[in-house]
Amino acid sequence: MLEARLDTANLFKSAVDAIKDLVQDCNFDCNDSGIALQAMDNSHVALVSMMLKAEAFSPFRCDRNIALGVNLTSLTKVLRAAGRDDTLTLKAEDAPDVLNLVFEATAQDRISEYDLKLMDIDQEHLGIPDTEYAATISMPSAEFKRITTDLMAMSESVTIEATKDGVKFSSTGDIGNGSITLRQHTPVDKPNETVEIELSEPVALTFSLKYLTNFCKAQPLSNQVKLCLSAEVPLMVEYGLEGGSYLRFYLAPKIGDEE
Amino acid sequence: MARTRSKGGPASTSADKTASTTAKAASTSTFTLPAESSNPPKLFVLPKNTSSSVRIITLENPRYGNPTRYLVCPETGSFYEFTKAAPPNKSTPRSWLLSSEKSEKEPALESQTIQSPDLYLATPYDPLFLLLPALFKSSNSKSDNQQRQYLSLDDYLDLIPNTDRHFSEILTLPNSLIEKVLEARLASVCDLVEMGDDTMYRPNESKLSAIILSKASKMAENLPPSMEEKFIKKALEAPVMGVVKDQPPPPPPTSTSSPEETASPSASESQSTVTTSSGTTPSTAVTTPATEEAPEPTFAPAITASSATISLQRLRTSLNFILSSYLPPFLSKTVLSSLPSETFTELEEYLTKLSKLRTEAAASRNIDINGGKRARDEDDDERLEKKRKMEQEEKVKKANTSRGVKQLAKVNTAGMMKLSAFFKKA
Repeated sequence: MLEARLDTANLFKSAVDAIKDLVQDCNFDCNDSGIALQAMDNSHVALVSMMLKAEAFSPFRCDRNIALGVNLTSLTKVLRAAGRDDTLTLKAEDAPDVLNLVFEATAQDRISEYDLKLMDIDQEHLGIPDTEYAATISMPSAEFKRITTDLMAMSESVTIEATKDGVKFSSTGDIGNGSITLRQHTPVDKPNETVEIELSEPVALTFSLKYLTNFCKAQPLSNQVKLCLSAEVPLMVEYGLEGGSYLRFYLAPKIGDEE
Repeated sequence: MARTRSKGGPASTSADKTASTTAKAASTSTFTLPAESSNPPKLFVLPKNTSSSVRIITLENPRYGNPTRYLVCPETGSFYEFTKAAPPNKSTPRSWLLSSEKSEKEPALESQTIQSPDLYLATPYDPLFLLLPALFKSSNSKSDNQQRQYLSLDDYLDLIPNTDRHFSEILTLPNSLIEKVLEARLASVCDLVEMGDDTMYRPNESKLSAIILSKASKMAENLPPSMEEKFIKKALEAPVMGVVKDQPPPPPPTSTSSPEETASPSASESQSTVTTSSGTTPSTAVTTPATEEAPEPTFAPAITASSATISLQRLRTSLNFILSSYLPPFLSKTVLSSLPSETFTELEEYLTKLSKLRTEAAASRNIDINGGKRARDEDDDERLEKKRKMEQEEKVKKANTSRGVKQLAKVNTAGMMKLSAFFKKA
């Protein structure tokens, strides 16, 4: 039996919104520590990993491990019915056929309830090791979103180059080339606009912009985004949430030919 | 070939050639049949040159370990096993009708019928087989020759199971040659050591293998037709491929088999040596053998076994027969493994080729069947139905796919490694 209540549906809505553009169907694995999700896109070059810890919910109850196989497009359709500030309650039996979602708008005393049919999904689960990244860049999530959208105009791929001085995003395409460089800066009055670069050695890697713009759909989740890079390992894009919960994306770098 | 067996009680063995008659009830009334005997007589064919001291004794079968009857002639030292010849067709009831000719030497037996159609043949048996369990079992666990002890003949004879005391009895009969014969057979599979007057024996596996192999090759020279058909021809037969080879031109008819000549009475006489029936059916019988053979090889088998392969297969069949009917199971393996490894290489090669051809042939046959027109008609509806279903499923799937996923499908992921290359499966 699963019962998990979120104070604002917004968190769950945004997370599902971002994931649904990467994968079609996936399992929400529920256990007493929270709700986790791991899935790869169809090409298996990107991976999304979500962890909503039990502390993010109030209350949270899950007696047994339950896998909720969900079609994310269908889930999005249901979630569209939830207002931003509604409380969201997820419920499921121990061997569930459906996921029960209840949205409560406390102000209007309005309660809506939906049952979403579940499916059996065979998924392979990858073990992701803890990695010491050569460069960890924290920046405003809105800034990252803007950079990816801007550079999409130039090319399909972006080279992220982290040095002591700053981080440079550059693209070269048919119509020309463009680049954006961010320097470290920590405004005291606006902590949300902090750009921080932790560097153990300079890195330069190229990634598919289309995937990165997809990741940026998680922007409403968090004001800050963390990019972690090391040579020849997947890039990690992390949207951190309160209480250690997170939504992470991994993307394999482009190696060799640009085309 | 049936296995040695003799079910007849001691009563049936008292008379030579045929068993004793049971009742003489027929004398009072010609219409009364004698009551059926509880121990009906059995028909035996016994060896000719045996003395009056010949016995039927019960010994443990070296292969199966069950008590089995053997015919022993102490004066010649020869052993015989009983082979039961069963009627070829079980569904047709058969019986024996026996009548004896009057002769000077033997008293005439009453004519009689025997319900059971079985015939028991006493066939020569190598007493070596009787010795084998005693020889090798004692050191069964340690196959190493060095571990075995040298023992005297008497020690080995004591090891032969002797529950009914039959065996010890025939050894002590007057003029018994049996011990001598056994000693000779023992010596053939053992290493010998002279110790004073006594000879000590130690079993030697390679000697045993050599003897079994020579027995097998002797048997292979003259396999019975039923075995030849089943184990040699069938086993080596390659599937016939549908390749029509060039038809060889028919051989010119020989002068002796030309129709004109065979029609004349003088020619048919000259042919009588060739075919047995030529005297009565002159024209057809004589001409067929010459012409019929030519057009046959139009459908040729894919491969044919060489004569060496055939004789190897014969040898192996014989060897397997001997190993599986005369040797204790544990010894069969030992003998097989102590054979030189290259003995059957050529045969193995042929057989692997053959099994490959057979699977190919079977596969092509399956294709023929599946391609059949009737099957196609029946499948048509099913396939359409399936197609419709698939399309529908596809539609649902498309509806449930987000725009983002669809667009990502168009992304050129060349040069991007799969994530499973970085992260191992949990």
